[in-house]
Amino acid sequence: MDAMAQAALWFWLPVALIPLGIWIFLSSKESLQRRMGQAMALLGLTGVVLSPWTVPESPSIAAGHLVGFLIGPAALLLAGLYLVAFSGNVAVGKLPKSDRRLGVMAFLIGFVWFTGMHWWNLTPSLDGEVNRYWLVFWPTFLLLLTCLCSASALSLRVIGDRRTKESNVLWFVSGFVFSLIVLAMTIDGSAVDAASFRYHLWLAGADLLGTAVGFAIAVLVFGGVIMLHERSLEEPPSVHPPTPKEFEHVAAIVSANIGGEESE
Amino acid sequence: MILSFLLPLFALLAIDLSLGGSVGAGADSLPRFANALLTAYTLGSLVLLGNLFFYADSRQRPLAPLFGMLAAAGMGLLTSVFLLENTDMLMENNGSIRAQIMYNIVHMLVSAGSILLAFGLALGLTFATITAQKARKTSFEEE
Repeated sequence: MDAMAQAALWFWLPVALIPLGIWIFLSSKESLQRRMGQAMALLGLTGVVLSPWTVPESPSIAAGHLVGFLIGPAALLLAGLYLVAFSGNVAVGKLPKSDRRLGVMAFLIGFVWFTGMHWWNLTPSLDGEVNRYWLVFWPTFLLLLTCLCSASALSLRVIGDRRTKESNVLWFVSGFVFSLIVLAMTIDGSAVDAASFRYHLWLAGADLLGTAVGFAIAVLVFGGVIMLHERSLEEPPSVHPPTPKEFEHVAAIVSANIGGEESE
Repeated sequence: MILSFLLPLFALLAIDLSLGGSVGAGADSLPRFANALLTAYTLGSLVLLGNLFFYADSRQRPLAPLFGMLAAAGMGLLTSVFLLENTDMLMENNGSIRAQIMYNIVHMLVSAGSILLAFGLALGLTFATITAQKARKTSFEEE
């Protein structure tokens, strides 16, 4: 089997299985099909993570290698947030209060793990070099997170009612992530120097802008295609208005089914 | 609110300029922007094409919008290939057109993962800060 076929089988096929599995899971109503979708997505994810061992020659496996590095801290962050959020004042699905501490711990470990991947020796490296996709993921993540937290903080203050305290927490988080970016721009990390981070930060900015514009155009085209199709449809045949006889029939049914005493 | 979203970006720009940087990537940002735009458009069109199957459920499965969306996604791919073959505008540090296209797709997947994680964390943090506060009492005035 040549290198291209191997990459297609061991990397691109598992990559395709992930969205396909999620799609089947979300669109199916039967539990068997939903489980099959989950299994497909999980199988795809496992295949992608194992790709550095299954197709070591393919350059695309750097993404699989990165996914393997990110699963741990990302899962801790998300699980931590889930535990913190649902051990608070929620109407449904409330967790015990003790889960809050566990959630905070998981979140902090996840965040320290992520920062350790830049400033400590946990940086994802492949064949002695920093994984090229880590230099895509990390600046994009930090840049978008600080911007989103800032927007969320102002939204809470403007739209929310007496949400100043919550807004201040989000300003703090945004400021904290912002200071992490400034630190990375000025102080060399264990494997990525400050100049290199600055270079990739602006590439991440261009990337985010391009992605937003590209996806917006796709949504506009999608709306246009549906609009053109709906316009091309013929008018549905209109029915004749009810005859006096039909009105009488309806009135008889209604009067037979209305009960209770007459109001004065 | 848009300004509050852009505020950290402008602040970082000011800091980078004051550090003597020429906004980091400089000329390399343009190919990245163009590649991201075309890849996001093409992959986004394919995702929305999948979405049309749900729409088709309530419309006796018409084929015209499916072909329309497939043509739109094809246009994105053809534009990428045309620009890569005829100009150097979209080429980054990759040896061939095929390598650049593969790199664009994998790059977009990594970028999308990073965007989804950032969105998940921002939403989760907002929700967690709201639920962390004590339950509010609503008092009604007697008439």
